[in-house]
Amino acid sequence: MSVLDRLQFYLMHFMPYPDVVPDRPQGQWVDIPNTHFDPEKGHQLYKNYIDELVLGDALGYDALVVNEHHSTFYSLMPSCSIIAGALIARTRQAKICVFGTPITLTYPHRLAEEYAMLDVMSGGRLECAFPLGTGMEYWVNPLNPATARERFRESMDVLMQAWTQPGPTRWDGEFYHYKYLNPFPLPYQKPHPKIYIVGSGTEDTVQYAAEKGFGYSQVFTPIAAQLRSFENYRATAARHGHTPDSESIIISAIPYVAESEAKAIEEARDHILFYFRNLLRTGDQMNTPPGYLPVDRLRKRLEAGVFQSSEITWEALTSVYRTVLGTPEQVAERIAFWCEQAQSSKIVVHLHTGDMPHWKAVKNITLFAEEVIPRLRRKLSPKLKAAE
Amino acid sequence: MIQFRKSDIVVDGVRVQVLEAGPRSGGGKPLVYFHGAGAMRGFDELLPLAEQHRLIVPIHPGFGGSDDDLTINSVLDYVVHYASLFDQLELAEPVDLVGHSLGGWIASLFAVFHGHRVRRLVLACPAGLRVPEHPSTDLFMVPPETLPSYLVEAPAMLAKLSSGEVTVEMRIARYREMTSLARVIWERSYEPKLSRWLKRIAVPTLILWGEQDRVIPVQQARQWADRLASEAQITTFDGVGHLVFIETQGAAKRVESFLNGGG
Repeated sequence: MSVLDRLQFYLMHFMPYPDVVPDRPQGQWVDIPNTHFDPEKGHQLYKNYIDELVLGDALGYDALVVNEHHSTFYSLMPSCSIIAGALIARTRQAKICVFGTPITLTYPHRLAEEYAMLDVMSGGRLECAFPLGTGMEYWVNPLNPATARERFRESMDVLMQAWTQPGPTRWDGEFYHYKYLNPFPLPYQKPHPKIYIVGSGTEDTVQYAAEKGFGYSQVFTPIAAQLRSFENYRATAARHGHTPDSESIIISAIPYVAESEAKAIEEARDHILFYFRNLLRTGDQMNTPPGYLPVDRLRKRLEAGVFQSSEITWEALTSVYRTVLGTPEQVAERIAFWCEQAQSSKIVVHLHTGDMPHWKAVKNITLFAEEVIPRLRRKLSPKLKAAE
Repeated sequence: MIQFRKSDIVVDGVRVQVLEAGPRSGGGKPLVYFHGAGAMRGFDELLPLAEQHRLIVPIHPGFGGSDDDLTINSVLDYVVHYASLFDQLELAEPVDLVGHSLGGWIASLFAVFHGHRVRRLVLACPAGLRVPEHPSTDLFMVPPETLPSYLVEAPAMLAKLSSGEVTVEMRIARYREMTSLARVIWERSYEPKLSRWLKRIAVPTLILWGEQDRVIPVQQARQWADRLASEAQITTFDGVGHLVFIETQGAAKRVESFLNGGG
């Protein structure tokens, strides 16, 4: 059976604040003056962005995905659970994915409670992913990057105990002590909602996800590196008696669909470049606080020249990220290729990017749902059929 | 010319490097130096102290030529480490103890908890005290390229520190040391209870400070002195920043005269 037989489309939103502060080579994070925030503009953006995700539910996307960042124009979601709560009230079918709050930024029992609430409120539509958080989060939260990985593991153990062992239980850890670990409510789904670990390819995170039997997802790392991580993940999972299926690994892409390739490029290219050049951009010091990266990982990055900041070109971007601009035919073909290449049946699509206006996001979300997804699901693409 | 001898010892299961130098004739009373949050440059500026003393510079776990100890995540853990290291080096008699910056913080806590092992104490621009009206710089926030200008005052010294190519190996070594530092002081670069604990220090104490210290302001010197049980002497150096022993030979000379009982 091909991965294409069970494709699931996860519509993800970063909810950026696009009125960036100019001339900031260190990017729009951490020490960005928050006096540039206009609450009326913010109000309108929340309306548009939530509408775009709600439209995704109506159009049949399998899941709506939100995530969390702090003190940055990159994201208007310092709490993804709040957006998830709003989405649950306005949607019926789609899974709601919190991909998610870094568990180390809050108390683990509290996240267990909040996610259980979302799962019960939605009638079991929740999926959760647990990131370590970007390096930037550690500058704006009272949290030690040098002990974050240890705290992350313990926090996950607390959450799993809270969700899977009849409470009250007790916890005596390095970072937390609970006299009565007894969250209420408990998740709707049993034993718990689907869990993924989000990583950037750091080997011990891949290993951790595989050992625990969690799914794995990688963000904004070159495709070749992602594929190596997935191999590593599958091999490790197998060694620990887990059999990861094509739903255990999530890949992500930035597609834009239009009447012609030229029109797609004209309408989307600059917004995607804006995203990479302005919103995703950070300084070395901010994204790598001490201890955030294991030393061997830093060595790999330095030797690969990852830290040499240079202007991001379209060609460089498309060679390392899954980006496709074109007709429904072209987009479907490319997505089929990526899913088969990664042996993944779950694909996160970013259909609003950077400073894209509402109308383009609506157009892209609609065309992708009505013209691309059916081609992939029913394999209507003649080229794909020929390839079978 | 006196030079350091390097040796490795294993303390509580962790290999650490110890630098030692002493008088040619042998002997000399032990002087232990706790270094600050960087151990890559070496400590040759301290060698004048080895003319009369058995100078011992143990490198903290997680720094320079010592291995990491991932069970350390507080300054108190370093104090426990040094109690073991003193046992291992058979430093049975009270020693003269000098601590610079982070090392001053460790030395002060060592004197709080192991006062009987310290004969005389020198704190050179020690970290660890919370002084709201003269706060310390959070070194984690200083961009690497401007760090030297925070550490030293004299332009010639600044040029020396800033010169030379920064290799991948140097960046990795620095990241490792900053990681070790972050493990113990990222959440706050002071010990909230230190001002309460310092009254346990009853040994004669000398406080040294560079008057242009941009990392830990010289105004903190008086705050330290006021909190000790013993009468503390304060000596400050004009035209000197945070790396006080590197920037002026007067610092080692002052230590020498203090340890010899001079005022």
